[in-house]
Amino acid sequence: MPTIRVPTALRTFTRGSAEIELPAATVRDALAELERRHPGIRARIFDGDVVKPFIRIFVGADDIAELGGLDAPVGERDEISIVPAIAGGADA
Amino acid sequence: MTGHPTRITVVGAGGLGGPIAFSLARRGLELTIVDHDTVELSNLHRQVQFTAADVDRPKAALLASAVVARGGNARGVVTRWAADTADALAGDADLVIDASDSPETKFSVSDWAVANGRLYVIAAALRYGGNVMAGAPGAACYRCLFEEPVEAPSCADAGVLGPVVAAIGGVAAALALGLARGDRTYAGALLAFDDLRTLVEPRIVRFAPRPGCAACARAPISPLAAPPVLVAEGG
Repeated sequence: MPTIRVPTALRTFTRGSAEIELPAATVRDALAELERRHPGIRARIFDGDVVKPFIRIFVGADDIAELGGLDAPVGERDEISIVPAIAGGADA
Repeated sequence: MTGHPTRITVVGAGGLGGPIAFSLARRGLELTIVDHDTVELSNLHRQVQFTAADVDRPKAALLASAVVARGGNARGVVTRWAADTADALAGDADLVIDASDSPETKFSVSDWAVANGRLYVIAAALRYGGNVMAGAPGAACYRCLFEEPVEAPSCADAGVLGPVVAAIGGVAAALALGLARGDRTYAGALLAFDDLRTLVEPRIVRFAPRPGCAACARAPISPLAAPPVLVAEGG
């Protein structure tokens, strides 16, 4: 099954789990299943039906924007990464 | 090879700026370290370049002095990076590194570097992980990736471990040196470290220039043009 890697900021929804295996044929399916299992997480990723501008989603090393967007297909061994922008360093 | 030492502007002299500047304290590099802030007692656990004796003193000047004491070449500028100060702070720089705690500053550094055809690195650390992005003319930029600044938790309100900023800062410095040597392996890529307590390997994700990116539209160099190559002396 494909795996979703959950960033630390969203692990409060997954009870600390960083990687979750779930059945899915597309990225959209995977995120829907993630919401089904962990209600509330979708609202942290989406504005309506659109991924928030400071979050990018990758399949393996590739941005889903290059793969067909949320309808990008995922295979049994694929890893879906949710990558949010973060700050942190110094108050410059 | 350029006819002058590689000039690097480091924006932020705190948790990330410290290890970045120390890693770049070497022959052939000239650092300009920018930070408006002063040292606070609460900084010391993750900003190991400072001591209790430095409290209330300006971070940029202190860090520059520490770099010089280690054999490097640096000057500190006690001011804030902003659109109207950027030219003065980085106009002669070959490469800019963002080590700030501000989403707006990260976008400002990236936008300025893209508009001026410079190399850059954007670093961020929070809690147990962080992200480092390398940028070069012609590659996708930070605004291609995240589009716009948002409210994000900072070290001050979410915390960060001292070892995490040391690790992320080291990666940022290494990527900067690679870019300066002409290595574009990671240009337009993001190295994401989820949790350095359990996994030190980053996820390396790549992205293409985003159509409609406002920053790239102002870039002087097209994505297909050859980027500049610099060579830093010393090993």
